[in-house]
Amino acid sequence: MARFGTTYDKLAVAAVVGAIAFSFATPPEVTQGNPARLFNLHLPMIAVMYVAFGVTFVASIVYLARKALWWDHLAAAAAEVGVLFNGLTLVVGMLWAKPTWGVYWTWSARLILTAVMFFVYLGYLALRRAIADPELRASRSAVYGILSLIQIPVIHFSVVWWRDVHQQATLLRPDEMQIDGVLFAAFLAGLVAFLMIGASLLRRRLAVASLEAEVERVAIAGSGGVAGDAVTPPALERRSPKVAR
Amino acid sequence: MQAPTLVTQAAIVAGRDVLRERRAGEVLWVTVPFAAVALLLIPLAISTDTALLRRIGPGMYWVVVLLFGVLTAVRRTAVETPAQRDAASLSGIDPAASFAGKAAANVVMLLGFEAVVGVVAVVLYDIELTRWPWIVAVVPLAAIGLGLLGTVAAAIAANVGAGAGLIPLLVAPLSVPLLLAATQALDSLRPPNGILAWVMLMVAVDTGLAVAGVLSSRALMDTG
Repeated sequence: MARFGTTYDKLAVAAVVGAIAFSFATPPEVTQGNPARLFNLHLPMIAVMYVAFGVTFVASIVYLARKALWWDHLAAAAAEVGVLFNGLTLVVGMLWAKPTWGVYWTWSARLILTAVMFFVYLGYLALRRAIADPELRASRSAVYGILSLIQIPVIHFSVVWWRDVHQQATLLRPDEMQIDGVLFAAFLAGLVAFLMIGASLLRRRLAVASLEAEVERVAIAGSGGVAGDAVTPPALERRSPKVAR
Repeated sequence: MQAPTLVTQAAIVAGRDVLRERRAGEVLWVTVPFAAVALLLIPLAISTDTALLRRIGPGMYWVVVLLFGVLTAVRRTAVETPAQRDAASLSGIDPAASFAGKAAANVVMLLGFEAVVGVVAVVLYDIELTRWPWIVAVVPLAAIGLGLLGTVAAAIAANVGAGAGLIPLLVAPLSVPLLLAATQALDSLRPPNGILAWVMLMVAVDTGLAVAGVLSSRALMDTG
């Protein structure tokens, strides 16, 4: 398992390097030039982020139905991967925005909502850290993990609802895709590579989660005293001897 | 003796929460003045230009409602101790009815909060109340959404260390669809824009929250 994991991790890293190289080999985009190459990182990162938060959503539902802690670990691991890619999406987006829009940050609905989603899932992770009991933590965070998905459709449709500086959807649009064949191939390579690295991180985080669960189980078992430990005997009252008058 | 229906149980829980709030007056005497002070401070930090304030007034109102409205869910009278939960559970109150009752009480308090803070905002920022029937529709929808979200978040963070501090972090980012819909809806009151799409978004968010809250109430109650 560990050896396969290591090989798989190497494959995932190689795929990301290959995808970046492929992106540089493609001709520059007609209107935006070289900065548009960042889209080959930006869009796959968004895709991994959506998939990761989707996994959190599904795993949370399954946990509430089956009460098996593995699903809670999966939900948490996916949320961490999602938060990582959410942060990377924002950073890469800002690096693209500077040469294109002239500023790192602008008040576009999609930007704001993507940043908000970062905080939604930070809240999810903060909630998990605040609860010590594994089952209580799993149930509470599962409910919040389900509610958190409310953001994703709003983010996706934000560019349709608010006509602002952010471009319209490039791939997932009702009429037709707004991307050239070679650029689309570079995007697909990036998508596959980042999905692979996302899966690799998820696997590793899941392995760490099961180790953490084991440590918690041992800690809980070790902290249990014998019956009656919680009861402290009353302190003996010291009476001063009465002085006979 | 016949067991009370879910609606009756919810009404009993809502009545209890409203009564506790009426006795404590936490929302009326703490949260509302706090929000009013915020509305007073904002122009000092931004600008006292009346035209600018008239333009940003509705947005400021919604931000204050969102950030301070969350406090209604974390008020002291809304917090149940484990013993109170056990007593409610032993007396046969269904978790879904308990959730609905608490949410209803929160919505009632938020409606009052929105109304008072709304008057303050209109007076301070000279907000124009055009096509007010639509405003009457939007304000309760925002209260329902925030009330439901606050109730779910309070249940999630109940009896958790740092629970009260956690609730605003859980609620504020999730309430963004409501905030956006509310502000855009009031913006859309100026012709020729349509308000209906934003009202529908609020209805969809409120419905989703209500369903999620009712369905998750047992899971949250079981682990409380």
